[in-house]
Amino acid sequence: MSHAPATIPAERTRAPRRPDLAAVRRAVARLTLPVLLLLPALIIIVGLVGYPLAKTIWLSFTETRLGDLIDGSGEWVGLENYKEVFTDEHLRTSLINTVVFGTACVIGTMVFGFAVALLLNERLRGNLLFGLAVLLPWAVPALAASAIWRWLFDDRYGFVNWALVNLGFSHFQDYAWFADRNSAYVAIFVTVVWQSFPFVALSLLAGLQTLPKETLHAAAVDGASSWQRFRLVTLPLLRPIVAVLVVFSTIWDFKIFDQIYVMAQGVPDRAADTAAVTAYRESFALGHYGVGSAVAVVLFVVLLAFSIVYVRLIGKEAQA
Amino acid sequence: MSWMLKRGWKYLAMLAVSVFALFPVYWVIITSLKPRSEIYTRTPDLWPSDPQWHQYPRVLGEGHVGRALLNSLIVAGATTVICLIVGAMAAYALTRFDIPLKRVLMMLVLMTQMFPLVVLVIPLFVIMRNAQLLGTYFGLIVAYLAFTVPLAAWVMRGFLVGIPEELEHAARTDGATRLGAMWRVMLPLAAPGLATTAVLCFLEGWKEFMLALTFMNDESRKTLPVVIQSFVGRGDTDWGAIMAASVIYTLPVVIVFILLRKHLMRGTTAGAVKG
Repeated sequence: MSHAPATIPAERTRAPRRPDLAAVRRAVARLTLPVLLLLPALIIIVGLVGYPLAKTIWLSFTETRLGDLIDGSGEWVGLENYKEVFTDEHLRTSLINTVVFGTACVIGTMVFGFAVALLLNERLRGNLLFGLAVLLPWAVPALAASAIWRWLFDDRYGFVNWALVNLGFSHFQDYAWFADRNSAYVAIFVTVVWQSFPFVALSLLAGLQTLPKETLHAAAVDGASSWQRFRLVTLPLLRPIVAVLVVFSTIWDFKIFDQIYVMAQGVPDRAADTAAVTAYRESFALGHYGVGSAVAVVLFVVLLAFSIVYVRLIGKEAQA
Repeated sequence: MSWMLKRGWKYLAMLAVSVFALFPVYWVIITSLKPRSEIYTRTPDLWPSDPQWHQYPRVLGEGHVGRALLNSLIVAGATTVICLIVGAMAAYALTRFDIPLKRVLMMLVLMTQMFPLVVLVIPLFVIMRNAQLLGTYFGLIVAYLAFTVPLAAWVMRGFLVGIPEELEHAARTDGATRLGAMWRVMLPLAAPGLATTAVLCFLEGWKEFMLALTFMNDESRKTLPVVIQSFVGRGDTDWGAIMAASVIYTLPVVIVFILLRKHLMRGTTAGAVKG
């Protein structure tokens, strides 16, 4: 091995390595501050979101009672809990409730919210006060809203029954809204829509106000009726916002907890419980932490799908 | 006349929506001001004949609502302070530095806002129990950071993006250190963003129910939503007291909403204010 040729490969490898090392050093220096700034948030997200999430997924494959929960000695049972979730009448019902009731709430909120947005966009006299009135239910915390509407729907002394009887629907005398799943859902539906429509209405209003006036005007000149203008011009132009709001509302209405926990607690057989409440009660009221976790994970997976759609929509909007 | 026909129904609709939005709140307030005999009646009055404030001192005293109010303020307040600092730091790093996986990180932050809390509650309960933090303010505050810190980071980021980086560069060219530029140039400009973020985090802590219900078993440590819920659950429901407690619980939020309504919309993409 002669000296001369050996230096050539040595040079060849060293040449790119020197700036490499410097680049690494520079990268480290450059990243120190941002990483330090990010670290507390990362620790919190990993420790309080990531770890608990992984742990719940693990629990969902175990038979875990309170004692097992504390010392972490749950017995691995594979897919048993998931089998129970989809075969047990009550658990399965709670999942179906979540989808059916959640979807109804999304539709109700979107339709009503859109109508209110269009109304706000008319710029009628008293618009400012109207805007404030619409804002108010949004400010009421879910738990307070549940208590308020529970009282309004009270069977004997509630305002709703009194009003309905006075309007001539005499069978609402002492009507027990919370004695049956469907009527309980009517009351909870009203509560949820009441709380959610302001957000949808105000978001859509913001969208409506960015619409090009010329296009709408041109459509009017061309003889389009107001319904045609709405369906053929307004709606397509607002599609991105509507999509975001639908996905967003779906996530919110599927994971709904407070309203159901408070308002549906008197319904016989807990027939009106949704997945979030069932997961919670199965765990903390009945001590079936494994089964409760399985319900929670099913809900999580469903919402994860919607979340991915949501994040993509938002990401697109942020880039635009 | 044709104006009446064309516009009239819109005013009617506006009126109907306003009544739907406002009436429940109105009803709560007057229920809380009615004497017992006027609450438990088949023919409720739309106006209390003799408004009385006695419910308020009563629930604040014996009803544990006064204590709960204090607990809620402590928990939501401390949560706000911590998540504001941690969130602002993270937001600054995410806007001003070129970090690998930045997009992924941000999407992750946003995703955490979509999680159903029930998927985290069992392990959080175990963590707090093993750390002997169950039933303490500190335990609940730490648990609240799980969803307020990502929220704060996301909302703050939205505000920081809007502050031109050149201002910072200028300050540093003039001899300020990076931290000095952050402190003296960025912070004043970011003040509206910080205020909005603080309010959103406070509201999250103020409204949260599930974790508080799980962790705070001791009567003296319960927060407002937990106390109100325990009132509703009782057999002989005392609606006058519940409505008074609900007014106390809701009033601060309503005031904040009306004052900050323009800014609050900005936090909503992270799922902040709804529900």
